[in-house]
Amino acid sequence: MSLKEKDDMDHEGWMKRKDLTPVESTFLVALIWMDKRLRIVDYLELLENLYYKVNMQMPKSHTEQYDLDNKFWYWYPLYALGSFSTLAYIVAAVSGALLGFYYAPAQTGDPSTAYNSITFIMTDLQFGFMLRSIHRWSAQVMVAAVFLHMLRVYFTGAYKEPRELNWLLGIVLISLTMVFGYTGYLLPWDQLAFWAGQIGVEMSLSIPLAGEWVAQLLFGGFTLGPATLQRMYILHVFLLPFVVTSLIAIHIGIVWVQGIAEPH
Amino acid sequence: MSDTNTNTDTDTDTDTDGTEARTDGSGGPGIVAPDDETPSWRERKERTTGLSRLTYEYFERARREDQDLRTESDYVERDVLAFPTWPHETVRNLSIAAFFTGMIFFLSATMPPHIGSPANPSSTPAIILPDWYLYWSFGLLKLGPLNPELAILGGEKITADRTYGVLANVVVVGFVAIVPFLNKGSARRPVEQPFWSAVGVGGIVFAFTISLLAVKNLMPMDVDLLFDLTFLLPIVATTVTYAVLKTMREGYMYDLNRRYYRLRPPK
Repeated sequence: MSLKEKDDMDHEGWMKRKDLTPVESTFLVALIWMDKRLRIVDYLELLENLYYKVNMQMPKSHTEQYDLDNKFWYWYPLYALGSFSTLAYIVAAVSGALLGFYYAPAQTGDPSTAYNSITFIMTDLQFGFMLRSIHRWSAQVMVAAVFLHMLRVYFTGAYKEPRELNWLLGIVLISLTMVFGYTGYLLPWDQLAFWAGQIGVEMSLSIPLAGEWVAQLLFGGFTLGPATLQRMYILHVFLLPFVVTSLIAIHIGIVWVQGIAEPH
Repeated sequence: MSDTNTNTDTDTDTDTDGTEARTDGSGGPGIVAPDDETPSWRERKERTTGLSRLTYEYFERARREDQDLRTESDYVERDVLAFPTWPHETVRNLSIAAFFTGMIFFLSATMPPHIGSPANPSSTPAIILPDWYLYWSFGLLKLGPLNPELAILGGEKITADRTYGVLANVVVVGFVAIVPFLNKGSARRPVEQPFWSAVGVGGIVFAFTISLLAVKNLMPMDVDLLFDLTFLLPIVATTVTYAVLKTMREGYMYDLNRRYYRLRPPK
């Protein structure tokens, strides 16, 4: 068996004949190199297809058809609330990752290690007070923006067909945002956090049938303890970020595919 | 055992043929080039039955429908007519993003958070509160007085007050979730749908009043009066909004019709 390369498509000869600029030839060399390994041309076709579907085949929107641009732009600030909450989410994620370098969810000692690490961040760490402030405020702003975003969607009827599923996804997202806020609220392990946690345990215990199971799962027991703080921490920095980020991506992707629901 | 025998046989055969033994399992017939009798993918799809047949038919129909729509006049090649993404939309989005982020930084620089005293399970503070955005949920936990006492059970309650409060949360979120399946039609503006807008305004007011109920021990107000107002104010707000929007709708519909007929005069 011979190992001789059978190159029907002589790409190099083709490139020589084309008389390309350095930029073009670099691009082509990289493209061919990648394509030989990853078959990206197949996917390029998909992308191209997608591009034409998105850009060329959408119906004329209502504002274009009836020349209502003035109306749409008048309401534009309210239509930016969704992206505003995404933006606040990104700011919270970045500042939260930085805070995570210095926070430990342990409960040893009195006051607890968790409380001590917050005091360390706020008093000793360079820029730490500002960092915590940014994290907290971006969380507050995100929740506020999400609520207002929901009101905007409600009052402009943007949840109607074909957008019902995205509305349901939005309900899930707003709930998860509040769970995000709640778990973060418990992390400093001060008095407010402890007693808010107490209310949480009691609420989950009073769920019919599944109550004790839920309390055990979320709070690690029927009373607050080290396990509670550990679980809140993992929810806040590991589980929720993955879930919420992917749901936000799907939410925005659906908006992209379906288009903005413009006011009539 | 029989498998091993078969393999040995194959090996022997290829050896007698004079070709090299192949280790990659490609001893069988190679890929046959399609001839005229090879069915095309379309024909294969047409031959399917059951659910896959239905799927195929639906996709064909949907594709034809898209094609028809595309040939209609109100379809447009977007990237020619629409607002350009670069630089117009991008620059605007970037400036809005910068402004919003700057606002967050401003808030955090001017109003930094504080931390309370460390957790102490043995002393319950006078005021226990979640963050502000959970006040409504916290307030719904305090609906005990509305929990019906059944005469059949001799004045006993079916559910504990706590369970009742948690169920109230589920009911509220569930109602918000099914709104798209209750309110259908193409109306978009509040004036076009007075009822649902009134429900929305009532909901907002209720969110505020129930939040105030949650902090009732901080309110300089009689608690019973606060409890009554919690439910009366949303009803009042709903009624007023409904009346106002219903009145506005007359004028609005007149305006809308005039605009519509100017655009498309009746034949």
